[in-house]
Amino acid sequence: MHQRMNDLIHALRIAGFAALLAAVPVAGYSQSATADSYEPGRTPDGQPDLQGIWSNAVITPLERPPELADKEFLTEEEAIEYERRRQEETNMDRRQADAEADVRSAYNDFWWDWGENIAATRRTSLVIHPLDGRIPALTEEGQRRSDARAERRRLHPSDGPEDRTLSDRCILWVSAGPPMLPTAYNNNFQIVQTADHVLILNEMIHDARIIPLDGRPQLPGDVRQWLGSSRGHWDGDTLVVETRNFTDQSNFRGASENMRLTERFTRVADDVLLYEFTVDDPDAFTESWTVQIPARKTDDLMYEYACHEGNQSMIGILGGARAEEARAAEAAR
Amino acid sequence: MKKNLAILVATATLALTAAPLRAHHSFAAEFDPNQPIQLRGIVTEVEFINPHSWIHIDVTNEDGSVVSWAIEGGTPNTLFRKGINQNTLPLGTEVLVDGYRSRDGRNRASGRDITFTDGRKIYLEGSAPPAE
Repeated sequence: MHQRMNDLIHALRIAGFAALLAAVPVAGYSQSATADSYEPGRTPDGQPDLQGIWSNAVITPLERPPELADKEFLTEEEAIEYERRRQEETNMDRRQADAEADVRSAYNDFWWDWGENIAATRRTSLVIHPLDGRIPALTEEGQRRSDARAERRRLHPSDGPEDRTLSDRCILWVSAGPPMLPTAYNNNFQIVQTADHVLILNEMIHDARIIPLDGRPQLPGDVRQWLGSSRGHWDGDTLVVETRNFTDQSNFRGASENMRLTERFTRVADDVLLYEFTVDDPDAFTESWTVQIPARKTDDLMYEYACHEGNQSMIGILGGARAEEARAAEAAR
Repeated sequence: MKKNLAILVATATLALTAAPLRAHHSFAAEFDPNQPIQLRGIVTEVEFINPHSWIHIDVTNEDGSVVSWAIEGGTPNTLFRKGINQNTLPLGTEVLVDGYRSRDGRNRASGRDITFTDGRKIYLEGSAPPAE
């Protein structure tokens, strides 16, 4: 029953997206075909063809800013103004008083790899459920775990490499997935299909997820993996990927290792792959939540991101911490 | 109406840009925001390595001594997409680097931008603001 309701909600979302796409002239998006009439091409195995390189670079925020609390969509005029202001704010020639903001602004106006546009739906957040566009509150237990992690980081920021984030360690990128989210750069992912597997290669950290489609069971619960354990199936023309068996270290947005993730990939136009994911984790969140990103087909190439190759940062971070300890000890004498 | 729209978009943009930019590692953990640094030197080596590129320059001090500095730049993927490649910074080029010095006391800095002697500027996107 729950699944059927989810399928119905999903079908309505796709229809809603198609209506928007048809109604809204959005630069870079094909208007010739939309989801209500669109039939994706087929692979030699007869599956909907989702293959290619897709970009999920959008400047739409994950969560709706409080100022837009009751506003689910921007008008066309507001969207243009939003994008213009965003370019202005991030202009590289503006020096910022705060050093971090200053370096950040060197991610300049025309080459923010976030992209220049908000999502084609003109939504004010990538979170589409709950309806307020915000990630639900943590449960009491989830909050306790999150506080404990923050306290641990405060007391032991850089004692050794294990204290640093998984991205500092080049192990896992929080937005490279699963699930995938737009991030500062390397926003491309590539899909390759065979008869019984799908491969999703993410440019960030360069992780390849190889997902069986043959109905085999998930890995046993005591086998925990950085990328979890993914199994896929087709629901009509939508690829559904269910992932569990995460570790207790990735903590996606406060999630626990028991997070159950459902991703849906639907090609709604030649150049648009609608990517949605739902986080179910009663151990961490007071309700489930869903994100929607219309990924764009790109002619760009996938570049390697061999993060371990020259990860001087770890040396610099740990060396910096030791140097500051030594300076503090010297000053205390 | 126009004004309302401007306010709406301004606040939303502010909320958006306040979100932390996630790059490979924490800027503040490795570099000191209180030590901005400007260096004039000659390019001796350019490493297009992941996760961040490194540009090495020789800086001549007032007393004539030469000190080597390593400047961290953005990931090669982003630099390539900006059109910055091995031809952009030929060895021997004189550059002025703006950045922030590393906390560990070595001659290293996170580069913000490079200015050539003819005034052209390229942006290095050196290290990044905090990952969390």
